[in-house]
Order: sequence, then structure tokens, then C-alpha cells
Amino acid sequence: MIRILILIGFTFIFMHLHATGDISKYINMKYSWISFCTIFVLWFLTIAELIFYMIGPKKHDDDCSCGCAHNHQESKWKRRAWYPIYILPVLTVLFLPVATLDSNIVEAKGFHFPIYDKKDPYSSHQFLQPDTSSFYGEEAYDQMIHRDLKKFSKEDNINLEDEEFLNTMETIYRYPGEFSGKTISFKGFMYQTKELKKNQYFLFRFGIIHCIADSGVFGMLIEFPDDAAFKNDDWATVTGEVSTMYYQPFKKTIPVLKVTKMKREQTPKDPYVYRNNQ
Amino acid sequence: MNSSLLQMNTILISILIEALPFVLLGVIISGIIQIFVTDEMMARVIPKNKIGAVLLASVIGALFPACECGIVPITRRLMAKGVPLYAAIPFMLTGPIINPVVLFSTFVAFGNDWKIVLYRAGVAFIVSLLVGLILSFQFKTPQTKREVHLRTSPKKMSAKLSEATRHTIDEFFSVGKFLIIGGLIAAGMQTFVKTSTLFSLGQGDVSSNAVMMGLAYVLSLCSSADAFIASSFRSTFTDSAIVSFLVFGPMFDIKNTLMMLSQFKTKFVFTLLAYVFILVLIVSILIVH
Repeated sequence: MIRILILIGFTFIFMHLHATGDISKYINMKYSWISFCTIFVLWFLTIAELIFYMIGPKKHDDDCSCGCAHNHQESKWKRRAWYPIYILPVLTVLFLPVATLDSNIVEAKGFHFPIYDKKDPYSSHQFLQPDTSSFYGEEAYDQMIHRDLKKFSKEDNINLEDEEFLNTMETIYRYPGEFSGKTISFKGFMYQTKELKKNQYFLFRFGIIHCIADSGVFGMLIEFPDDAAFKNDDWATVTGEVSTMYYQPFKKTIPVLKVTKMKREQTPKDPYVYRNNQ
Repeated sequence: MNSSLLQMNTILISILIEALPFVLLGVIISGIIQIFVTDEMMARVIPKNKIGAVLLASVIGALFPACECGIVPITRRLMAKGVPLYAAIPFMLTGPIINPVVLFSTFVAFGNDWKIVLYRAGVAFIVSLLVGLILSFQFKTPQTKREVHLRTSPKKMSAKLSEATRHTIDEFFSVGKFLIIGGLIAAGMQTFVKTSTLFSLGQGDVSSNAVMMGLAYVLSLCSSADAFIASSFRSTFTDSAIVSFLVFGPMFDIKNTLMMLSQFKTKFVFTLLAYVFILVLIVSILIVH
């Protein structure tokens, strides 16, 4: 009986997340069809379990035809002891608010980020560079970067929309020279570390590859002409000129945006940026 | 409520949403196979030659989609029908790793990239071959605890389908709890453990692989879902360590060790655990860069 309820619960949360659109707060919508199909599979299993429940106890318990040892080893009560585990996620989806990843997670995940640079395997400071090359075949990746580079290097003013945020950031880090002197604007949340000066912040977005469990922070160092008072997780759109500077904690020259214009923003409805092209 | 806890919960749910479809696919295929493919078919094709048997068993395991929890009793029953230990074990080791469902979920979890998929399959295959060869020289007896009685499948099609569905649901409930607990641990680590702490546990080439293998053992993830957990560790660990996680986890974890202990002699299970651990460690370090 409780199995039926658990299956109904799982079916319901998948339907609920699709119906309310909250699913986009958990996964990259490029893969939403997979979880959509799951609704039908779960419905089928729910109905099947309901039928099995109604026709009575399993008749194969005595002739041992299912081939799975757990049925015979685990007593009924031992199995039941596990059921609360299944109910937990159903309840938390329904009754707890969806949290947004913020500077807390940057703090925990942040400072040792993907070591994808083959030439320098011991550098652990590439969290600024959205190097997604390992997510692609190398050829496809090069093609993508070159296409982006061609597109962006023609323009003098680049406005990073959410859809192209990850691509553009990646291109900028890959070819900072090509972007030097260009004006760029983008939106993100503030993050400051103690190594930074009072007029310097990181402006970050969480980039999602598949689901928020595989997210990482992507963004750029920004520098205001004067000291600025932001708290971590304050949202803003900044416009400025791309330059580079040597950043001691990373022991590396990184792009920096010299801010000329700044506008504070509300936390956007969709705070994440997604990798959505191949 | 503490915002970190909410974030941890959100990460857990996202892991479940991503992984559950693949777990369902796994248990459905496993349900169908277990009812429609008979053990006799498998036993008939095993050759007399030891090396040939080890090789063929690894290949059959590779073609046979089963979760690591479903495959232990199948292996045990194959042995009761005359399949030697050195052939049954490679079958048990490759079965949960090299199969379409697991490899496809690995492909999706690692951003439509074949590299990790190939490494995972390759390392798993090599390790299972080596284990099979060692066993063929070391053990002459089956190492099983007791004889099992042979089973009969229902004859009628409708009965078979209903058995397959029953099995699917049973498998879902036996596997699901490990997915949820594993997701919870992974989400907790992402939220509360600074990655710098993880690094200090395993910084070197060997120790980071060992840390990931230990993690795979403790998490006890279903092999069709573990790729999603592994990919979330990708920003912290090298590809080699990730592959050792993906290969060792399905071969040995808390839940299937318990199942093996119920079927095989205790000393044998721990000998096998030691072989698999050492071989996965060595092969993953040598092959994956």
C-alpha cells in the first residue's frame, strides 16, 4: 500500500514541477523531455502496483521466480524501514521553497575549479574561466569558439544576454586580446573575497550544464573607479571596457572590466545561465 | 530554515530529477531481461577453455544490462548451472558497467562527450579480464555458500509481462533508496564541504583515485545514475579519479558487498574486493590522463 503512495508521490512531483515550470530551477530545460517521459513511466508503474496490490500477495514468493535475493533476505519490516527515505524528497519538493544557488555555494564550491588546462595541470584557479571544452569533443569545441570569436570581434559594444553568456565569457577568456578595449555589459551577482580591493568585485552567474548539481560559477572581475559598497549576492548590470590585469591569488593575468556604468537589479526570475548549444 | 539546508535540498532534488529517469529505464530493462532471457541460454555458450571463457563472460556481461544489485543473484544462479567461478565473476563485474543504459547515461551526464564513456568501458573491461584470469588460477572450487534451487519462469506471455513489471517495481524500490541516500550525501558535500577539504584528502595521483573509489563504495549508487553524481565532482577531481569512481562503484559498493556476502564465502568476497580495488586503481591511473 505504502509503495503505491510513494509511486503516486513521485509521479505527482514530476507532474507538479512540469506544470508549475519550477523544473527550470533544477535542470537545464534542454533535457526536460527526459523527465517529461518519466511521468508516463511512473504512471504505468503506479497503476501496475495498484493492480498487484488488489490481486493480492505475490504468488512467486514460494517458487522463487524473480531472481532477486532482496525479496527473500529482507523481511517485510526491514523493507518498510526504508520507506520514509522515499517520502522525504516528495515532501521537500512540495513544502520547502526552491533555493537559489548563491555566494554560499561559491564559498563551498568556488576556489578550486575545473582543472581543464592541460598545459598547467596544477593550476587550480580557473573558476573564472568558463572552460567547457571538456564537455565537447575538441573539434566541435574549436569550431564553436571560432564562430563566436568571429561574431563578437566585429562588434565594439557587446551586450551579454543570458542565452549567450557562457559562450561569450568563454571566448573572452580564451582570446582576451581580441576583446581588449571593447565595451561589454552583463548582469550578475556580486562576490567579493578578501584579496580584492574595495572597488573590485567578481560579477558571477551560475552556469548550468545539466542540473544544478553540476553548476559552476562563471563571470569576470570588475573594477569601479571609486570604492563601491555591495554585499555578496547583490545583483547588478555593469557596462565597461575590457582590460587585463595581473591577479596575484591566481598568479595569472585575467580580464577585468573597468566599469563605466552600473545599474542595480532585482534578483532575476531565472538567475542561472544555461549551456544550450552544441 | 537555514538557507544552506534549502540549497542542499534543491541540489538533492535536481540530482533525483536527472537520475530517476535513467534508474527507471534500468529497472525496466532489467525486469524484462530477467524474465525473458533464461539462464540456460547464458550457460550454454560458455566455452571450456579458461581464457576463452573469461573473455566471453566479460563480453556477455558487457551485453547484459543489469544493475549491480540484480546481477549478484543472476551470477550465483549461473554458477549453480555449471558456469565456473572465473567466468561468472567477470560477467558480474562488466554487467553493471558496460551496457547501453549505463553508457548512455554516462554520455548524457558528461555533456554529450564520448571520452569518459570510452574510458569507463575500457577500464572496466580490462579489470574484469584480469580478475577473471587471476581467479582461474587461484580458485578451483565455486566459493559459493550453498546450492540454490533452480527456478521456473511462467509460461504464458501475459504472466511473463506481469512478472517483468513486478520485478521492475521491486528493483525500483530496492535501488531507489540508495539513489536518494547517495544524492543526499553528494548534495551535502556540495553545500557544506569546501572543495579545498576534499583536495587535502586526495591531492596526489594515487590518493585522489583512492578517495573517489572510497566515495563510490560509500555512496552505493546504481550504475545507471552514478554518472550524474560523478559529473558533479568533475570540477574537483581529475578524469582519472572520476573514471576510477565510475568503474569501482558498480563493481563494489556497500549494498552489493552485502549481497555477495550472502551468496559467496566471506574470505572470497574480501579477496575479490582487494583485487578489484587494486586493479581499478592501477588501470585507471595507467590508462586515463
